[in-house]
Amino acid sequence: MTRRRWWLAGGVGAIVVLVALLWLLWPESNSPLSSLFRRDQTWQSMQARGTWRVGVDPSFPPFEQLDGAGVPIGYDIDLARRMAADWGLQVEVVAIGFDSLVDALRAAKIDSIVSAYPYDPRLTRDVAFSAPYFDAGLRLAVRDGSPIHTVKDLAGKRVAVEWGSVGDMNGRQLQRDGVTLTLVPFETPQEAVQALLDGTTVDALLVDNVTLRQAQGQGAAIEGVGAPLESNPYVVVAPSRAGDLQKRVDATLTKFGQEGVLDDLERTWFAQK
Amino acid sequence: MIKRVSLSMNPRWRKILLRGVSALIFLSLAVATAVQLAQRRAADVPLGPQQTVHTINAKVGVHTRLTDEVEPWKIKRTLEMVREMGAPWIVEYFPWAYIEEEPGRYNWVHADQVISHASRQGLTVVARLGFVPAWARPKDSSPLYLDEKHFADFGRFAAEFVKRYQGKVRYVVIWNEPNLALEWGYQPPDPLKYTAMLRTVYPMIKEANPGVQVLAGALAPTLAPPGSEFGMNDLDFLQRMYDAGAAAFFDLLAIHAYGWHFSPDDPPDPAVVNFRRTELLRDIMVKNGDGAKPAMITEGGWNDHPRWTRAVRPGQRIAYTIRAYAIAEQEWPWLDAVALWAFRYPWDQNSYQDYFTFVRTDLEPKPIYEEVQKYTQGGAP
Repeated sequence: MTRRRWWLAGGVGAIVVLVALLWLLWPESNSPLSSLFRRDQTWQSMQARGTWRVGVDPSFPPFEQLDGAGVPIGYDIDLARRMAADWGLQVEVVAIGFDSLVDALRAAKIDSIVSAYPYDPRLTRDVAFSAPYFDAGLRLAVRDGSPIHTVKDLAGKRVAVEWGSVGDMNGRQLQRDGVTLTLVPFETPQEAVQALLDGTTVDALLVDNVTLRQAQGQGAAIEGVGAPLESNPYVVVAPSRAGDLQKRVDATLTKFGQEGVLDDLERTWFAQK
Repeated sequence: MIKRVSLSMNPRWRKILLRGVSALIFLSLAVATAVQLAQRRAADVPLGPQQTVHTINAKVGVHTRLTDEVEPWKIKRTLEMVREMGAPWIVEYFPWAYIEEEPGRYNWVHADQVISHASRQGLTVVARLGFVPAWARPKDSSPLYLDEKHFADFGRFAAEFVKRYQGKVRYVVIWNEPNLALEWGYQPPDPLKYTAMLRTVYPMIKEANPGVQVLAGALAPTLAPPGSEFGMNDLDFLQRMYDAGAAAFFDLLAIHAYGWHFSPDDPPDPAVVNFRRTELLRDIMVKNGDGAKPAMITEGGWNDHPRWTRAVRPGQRIAYTIRAYAIAEQEWPWLDAVALWAFRYPWDQNSYQDYFTFVRTDLEPKPIYEEVQKYTQGGAP
């Protein structure tokens, strides 16, 4: 290779390296190193305002609802307030319909979603999800002291479900898998819970964890056994570029889990169990 | 310049380079052949024996959603499950942009799979056509935008479609919900322009395959006020289609009949979106002298999402769905079929949309599937 070509090759190589470096470090590029130079504008805005704007659909008790005076209350409202207090901020609740929450977050109308929001793997490129703080998935519930501990114990038993629900679907699936249970359908989950409490028509219940915890909160002597048959974790949602906020959300949720704050919230809004 | 290069290259290096290029070409050809063979094998899911649908209600149908289903065995299994549910009708979407990516060059592989399997399962296919390829619209426009100068291109595609599937597809729906700005390329809905589309496309389809039935309308049920940027009231839109002379350019009216949180027995009311809004659209047909023409519900139904404001409880959804099929059969002789949205999605939408389906993405039947199956086989729900 001639000297001139060596120079040419060297020049082209240098340009390629320079472009690659620029891409890696450019704050807007989403490259692994760019986050070192990117500022979390969401977190900075929160600091400047002194508030955390939280999107909530206040129609899902006990996680969020409006009280008699139209003030948002619930598990999520308390959770957001305690997290914000931990960061030295106030909470500003923004009421938004459930289906518009992510759009509002993308449009920076809110800083986060704290609204019993289920983890959605298809949105992980668009928004950032925290670790779960509550699993609303499907539970096997029995009367206190029941000998039923797993789905295998349901052979020969009568199982209450809400007709057409996820619990009904799982019950039919268990039947197809050879578990000889009898499904007893009810129009509403509350009727299914009541049937279990009555103690004569059914032996167990397949129901979502929110309904189960609400029943327990009203004094029902029933318990969930085993892990959820289908998981449905609720998470806090933040903008994908809000790295500082995401770290704080996860750290605070971990801390709240260790310190029993999440248990306190469950006791307040659900049950003693 | 060429001389310099050839002189400066060492013969040994040239030999190595030539061998390298040859090996690369050979490797590329081998990979391309292997991919072709793999694709062909994947497409070769056996059709199986000819089947027939057993049902007590010949109007039961569903809108399948196989457009983005890439696995042939899932296409086949989905359509088997439709038959096993006792539904003789399917509506399926065949996007123009997927089939004619370049003008005049057609890729029928996926459409062939869907239609072959559907026919083998004994299902009647209603093909919904739309979705504009990039070459037939302005740069950066929505694939749901089509201007007048490309109506004939759409007509040519539709004609090719009905020609190819002569004997297998007897119904085609022209466009979807043109009364919504979203579905009309983010333009104000325009019944005159939609009628002009029908006027161009209809004769081209009929010339290619006179036996095919053309469905128009497929209007979104909406109470949008006059001048709304989002849409036009479906009742107004249909009347304005008739005013523009649309009657001569379709054979059936396609209707979207969503029940939201109302019972299918709730009476029709222009101020309410419910299942019997279908009867109001029918009244407009009759009023315009088009009463001899049949209609078909190509979308509709109920949703049982736990938090969506327009949803009902899962048990209500089952009862309403079965009642809707029964109403169509017992009360609406002018309606050919009820294809409810949506049988199954290829993947989870992770939204309220998942709660419209009869079967999960993993092909696990939901209770509503089994209850409709019980109904079509003559059992009590």
